[in-house]
Amino acid sequence: MEGSSDAVIVARVLRGDVEVFRVLVERYRDRYARYAFHMLGNREDAEEALQDAFTRAYRSLARCEDPERFGAWLFRILLNRCRTMGARRGRRARTFVVDEVALLEAAEEHPAEQAAWREEIDRALQRLRADQREAFLLKYVEDLGYDEMSLLTGVGVSALKMRVMRACERLRELLSEVHNA
Amino acid sequence: MREDDSMMREIAKELRGAVPVSASFDARVMANVRRLPRHSRFGLWSRLTTPRTVTVTPLSWGLLAASLVLFASLGAVHATVDLNRTSKLFTNAFFPTTAASKPDQRVQFVLVAPDAKKVSVVGDFNGWDASHVSFQAQHRGGGVWSVTAPVPIGHHRYSFVVDDSLWVVDPTAPRVVDNDYGMANSAIVVEEQK
Repeated sequence: MEGSSDAVIVARVLRGDVEVFRVLVERYRDRYARYAFHMLGNREDAEEALQDAFTRAYRSLARCEDPERFGAWLFRILLNRCRTMGARRGRRARTFVVDEVALLEAAEEHPAEQAAWREEIDRALQRLRADQREAFLLKYVEDLGYDEMSLLTGVGVSALKMRVMRACERLRELLSEVHNA
Repeated sequence: MREDDSMMREIAKELRGAVPVSASFDARVMANVRRLPRHSRFGLWSRLTTPRTVTVTPLSWGLLAASLVLFASLGAVHATVDLNRTSKLFTNAFFPTTAASKPDQRVQFVLVAPDAKKVSVVGDFNGWDASHVSFQAQHRGGGVWSVTAPVPIGHHRYSFVVDDSLWVVDPTAPRVVDNDYGMANSAIVVEEQK
């Protein structure tokens, strides 16, 4: 089944072959784990969101209008799960996140190596507003066009362009010193 | 300031690296999935556990009320919908004059789908189960498919499923959007027949 199209696999699962669902999990987990990780900022939350998205997708599989595009449908579910989890976590942790970031910054004054550069990027990403982070990741990391992003997020193209621009400005602001070092 | 400068491309390159999940991830997902009923056996469980957030605007409710008045007075309303450029689907739903039992009311769903080989009705009243035996439409000739089935009194969402794969909203009924998945369904209000 590994080489089969999404539509074929979805049809098999809908006929009661639960185990075949594993092919879809293997097919999409890594790429979508990347998005969830960058969106939520830690592996544990990312895996929880992704696991939840797969489970919800299975439960609602009969409602997938275009099984050939199962991946896009799953991504939309994941995007919503990340939004929900991010909002929940934001309410819970907003009071100490800033301090935590400040502490981490103080601990690493001269991040010159590649690994440190990557850490700075992750840290800067988490300091973006969630809607700007989402737009930036979809545009630059997932490499989606603005029309696709609009369909996926339900947000207008102009607003998305503005969010991406703001995200870029903020990332420059946060990273230019490290980048030029 | 340009979006696509070298620094942003560098950042994107870093972020495109793989983020592998833990080794037990697949097993955990599959364990969750196995705990759920198989799709071919969906029924009451799904109906009870699927989250259903009905979001209807005042305009939609107005349309819904107007549709019901129209259905009651005319018996049937026909409309067309362009589907995949090749199929024309016509659909209507109305209440027959007698109710079989309380509290469920018998509701007739009609879909005209000349190219269909199978049509069923799914909704929150049958657990969105396309294989539910009471909601399998019969072909009445001329591409007209219909089924009359018991539906509990109250507000419901539903859709037609053509050939086990294509979900079709009822163009004669107001639409509501499922916020979780962004899909539109049709809305219906079932009232006790006098």
